[in-house]
Amino acid sequence: MTKLSRRQFGMAGLALAGVSLAGALPALAQQLKGGKLRVAVLSELANYDPQQLSTVNFHVIKNLYDSLIEYTPEGKPEPSLATEWTIAPDKKSVTLKLRSGVTFHSGTPFKADSVLATLQKGADPKRGKNVFATMSIVKDWSAPDDATVTINFKAPVPERQILDLLQFLLPIDPKGIDTVETVPAGTGPYTLVNRAVGQSLTLKANPKYWREKQPIVQDLVFTVFSEDASASAALESGAVDIVYNGSSRSAVRLKNAGFQVFAGPGPLVQVFRINSTRGPFRNKAFRQAFNHLMDRASILRVGYAGLGKVVALPWAPASPAYDESYNATYAYDLEKAKKLIAASGLSADEIKNWKLLVNGSDESSVAISQIVQGSLQKIGIPVELDMRQGAEYVTALLGGDFAATFGAVGNVQKFPSRVATNSIYRTSGNPVLKDPHPHPDYVAAIARVDAASGGAAEVKAAYDNLNKVMVDEAFGIPTNSYDVGLIVASDKIGGITLDIDNLFVARTIGFK
Amino acid sequence: MTETLARLKLLLRRLLARRGAALGLGFLLLVALAAAFATVLPFDPLAQSVAASLLPPSAENWFGTDELGRDILARVIYGARTSLLTAVGAVVIAALIGVPIGLAAGFYGDWRDSLLMRCIDVLLALPNILFAMALIAVLGRSQGAALIAVGIAGIPGFARIARAQVMALRQLDFVTAVRGFGGSPGYIMFRTILPNALSPLVVQAIVLASIAILLEAALAFLGVGVPPPTPSWGEMLRTGKSYLYEAPTYAVLPGIVLTLTILSLDTIGRALTAILDRDETDASGETIGGRR
Repeated sequence: MTKLSRRQFGMAGLALAGVSLAGALPALAQQLKGGKLRVAVLSELANYDPQQLSTVNFHVIKNLYDSLIEYTPEGKPEPSLATEWTIAPDKKSVTLKLRSGVTFHSGTPFKADSVLATLQKGADPKRGKNVFATMSIVKDWSAPDDATVTINFKAPVPERQILDLLQFLLPIDPKGIDTVETVPAGTGPYTLVNRAVGQSLTLKANPKYWREKQPIVQDLVFTVFSEDASASAALESGAVDIVYNGSSRSAVRLKNAGFQVFAGPGPLVQVFRINSTRGPFRNKAFRQAFNHLMDRASILRVGYAGLGKVVALPWAPASPAYDESYNATYAYDLEKAKKLIAASGLSADEIKNWKLLVNGSDESSVAISQIVQGSLQKIGIPVELDMRQGAEYVTALLGGDFAATFGAVGNVQKFPSRVATNSIYRTSGNPVLKDPHPHPDYVAAIARVDAASGGAAEVKAAYDNLNKVMVDEAFGIPTNSYDVGLIVASDKIGGITLDIDNLFVARTIGFK
Repeated sequence: MTETLARLKLLLRRLLARRGAALGLGFLLLVALAAAFATVLPFDPLAQSVAASLLPPSAENWFGTDELGRDILARVIYGARTSLLTAVGAVVIAALIGVPIGLAAGFYGDWRDSLLMRCIDVLLALPNILFAMALIAVLGRSQGAALIAVGIAGIPGFARIARAQVMALRQLDFVTAVRGFGGSPGYIMFRTILPNALSPLVVQAIVLASIAILLEAALAFLGVGVPPPTPSWGEMLRTGKSYLYEAPTYAVLPGIVLTLTILSLDTIGRALTAILDRDETDASGETIGGRR
């Protein structure tokens, strides 16, 4: 029986954190003072449902709710509302021990019934939202007593995938589960005071919070800015203490001006998405040429101010499938690209018979698309940019109405098959590539990763195989990781906690 | 023909006599020549050099470089092509459609006038920028679409001015005489009245040209103008604003060129209006646009 307890992982996590992120983690919490923390954000939150996780809600969720378990920035699990989790030897179930003495904001005690209600919501195709796909591995669940929950799986599930599920589950108060979109119903360190839609959100410290000496600041005020430059100016003028989720370019500038910048371990990866059911992209050699047509260093520099890493695979460094060697093997090389295009056997007319779809609302996408356009021009392939704005672009992207386009993918630091939650990487019902999936080797590679619940060698072989298949099929060409949820803080702020998903965690933040 | 040339020559002479108009004309001439001969100049507006991005103005790059390391001066020069082509195209479209509508409405009066003018009122009621954006949404994002959108937005101006001119002229003796000699409605409208109504229409053409350049830039600034990498002043302003801290000249210099172009057109338009309104005569008794 594999037992992953607080002692095992907490110690390892703390040791690693101490080495690499001493300045970033809440080690100095005792010396920090409370007060009113003013945070500039660039998006209005959609609602308070923790199962509708999107970047617009990133600043709120971890302040109103707690996960069953947490990850350290290095990806090590540690207890939260679940104090222990025991994975069965056959990896077909996990049993959780729940923390005692915790209450929801309403005063309701946190017990097994709330975890069951949360699982029930997540498994509901209408109410489960972002959690629903992750729940596909779950068969059923039970609660032998108020402090214990057992989740059963349909088949043996890799350990990391089980942990991802537990980390993704944020218990909701059963009494408030039906109104959770409008009224927060968590156990989190802050409670809602007031929301002025489009302007601000005010929270105050939860007096019954279960983590000792947290939260540090008593009042937490988020102010919504529509312009990145305005948020930066507010920080520089002292009107706010932190800018959350601003642009990489502003972060670099503010860092040079003496502000603190914190980048979490959960970046996005920019992917040149190829619709392999259209035109010249049906040809594998032609697609493979794009592995070498991406001037990744320029894309990272121009699009993201150099904040991130060039990648040839859709993984963040924290991902267990991350393999840096691919960056060199599939580096920018126009000669190699030309050879592959020549090997494709396509005519000169065929290879230029497509347009590059561009999200005109996103300046980074416009710039990096022009870099690719320039690279293509250099090898004699003139292509036009098909600029579309906002909803028009999203409709084309999610409907597969494009030949090629840039689009970021998330969940790149977690269990590798989670990448299949992104539309271009879906193994079934893929809105771009349609059914039956035109790349059965890729589908089989994802299935192999999901089934690799044995030893480390088996798991590594499955990851290696997936990586190899991804660059071979070449329907998604990753170019770089970049930061989402960047935190830029004044020098009087301390105790920043880096969340694995780059969500904003205010409970450890205080004033120096 | 000789008479028309003589009139133009006189008009030019009087324009040049006004300092503001002369300066404006000189600047516009410079922009137009640069745009016309851009291909023979040693500039490539599309050549990227990311390693040399966001450089300040220098001897090598007079206006500096943009985020992709492209020469901003080259893009300003080629952007002038986009702006001037849009201006000329929009004026032609607006004049070709708006003037006949105005002539017919003013000439016939009655229900035809009401019908045509209500249609024009509907067009006039639509905010230019909104109408242009809607049209681009239908036609797709291209220079042609921007040109048509701006052109259609300019129709009401020409129609209303043409109508007003016809209504003022149609009862005058020289028109009555032509009618008496059996001139057809078409002949009277286009050969008799129109030549005598040209002056305000020329002014309107210049005003629309400046509006067209500004509207094209606004559309590009909003992200619905000419698609990149085709240079456009509005697109440069849109992108340059993101780099105001790192490279202020990126947005400022194209903005200055755009402002000076609009200012030049407006100054010329105002000068023309003043000259034609007064129907000035010089010592020799020559007239520019008066009725003959």
